[in-house]
Amino acid sequence: MRINIFFLMLLAAATIGCKEERKLPILGERDWVKKSVDGKEVVDTIYNAIPAFSFVNQEGDTVSEKIVEGKIYVADFFFTTCPTICPIMKRQMIKVYNEYKGYPDVMILSHSIDPEHDTPQVLKKFASDLGVEGNQWQFLTGQKDEIYEIGQKNYLSTAKEDKTADGGFIHSGAFILVDKEKHVRGMYDGTTEEGTKKLIDDMKLLLEEYKK
Amino acid sequence: MTKSAIALLFLLSMFSCKSASELKSEQYFVEGYQLYTTNCANCHQADGKGMSNLYPPLAGSAILNDKLAVACIIKNGMKGTILVNGKEFNRPMPANPKLTEIEIAELVSFVSMKFGKDSLYTPIETVQKALASCKAY
Repeated sequence: MRINIFFLMLLAAATIGCKEERKLPILGERDWVKKSVDGKEVVDTIYNAIPAFSFVNQEGDTVSEKIVEGKIYVADFFFTTCPTICPIMKRQMIKVYNEYKGYPDVMILSHSIDPEHDTPQVLKKFASDLGVEGNQWQFLTGQKDEIYEIGQKNYLSTAKEDKTADGGFIHSGAFILVDKEKHVRGMYDGTTEEGTKKLIDDMKLLLEEYKK
Repeated sequence: MTKSAIALLFLLSMFSCKSASELKSEQYFVEGYQLYTTNCANCHQADGKGMSNLYPPLAGSAILNDKLAVACIIKNGMKGTILVNGKEFNRPMPANPKLTEIEIAELVSFVSMKFGKDSLYTPIETVQKALASCKAY
């Protein structure tokens, strides 16, 4: 009997020790540079990172990448008159928002892909109708080309004008998780319950990384 | 053998007990539910309660008493400020030019039975009449 218990404990310890910590990957295209360190040639990986940007938020303030300095954040693309997936995405994003409301190092950036219509005033009204106050959730508008480019190139997300689509624009329903180093660490289906839940869980995991 | 014959008879009598219009109502409800899920639920939500102050609820809304208006709004969309259950809403609803008359009848039937007080379907003739003379909403 005693041996049995001992054996069980050993097994339990082994299982716990075995459990590898899950770490989120870094997504996007990579580049490599060669450089020499102490006369030896080494290869350095350059990961996809969100570049500097300049947009205008729902308060009419110009915001740059500095607003997310030292924060992890979730980005998405939408437009206020969108009849298709945006309402679903916003319903799901509200869950993310409520889960991390008041966290000083968590933000949400929702980019409008219809900046001509979605002026700061329109976005402000949209945010307050959605029940969002304060500046943790930023609704951004700006130069159309810049929004499309950062969406396609860095957030790995489709966002463009298409007159044949319902509402006039096509964009993916993705929620994009970005870490404090501006690397994309996850893409989630913002139109589903499961996708959103996974994002909420992964954000916890990502925040853990910075606690060590 | 006898048992299954009795069961069959019972089943038959169950169906024949339902009037033609009750059967049609069920059919319209099911079709309407699917159309609602695809075309309306994104904003008005599956439970018809709308979404915060963005999109108005259908459940309990007075507009359901005016089927002609409902049919026209589904088809042509609407804009301007409206008051629903004591709350103000002001976001345009897009038109749905692709929906056919029968589909609109099924949708009107579904929302009237599910979120309003109707127990029977809305016939296609009602919708046709409504669509023939829509005003702008």
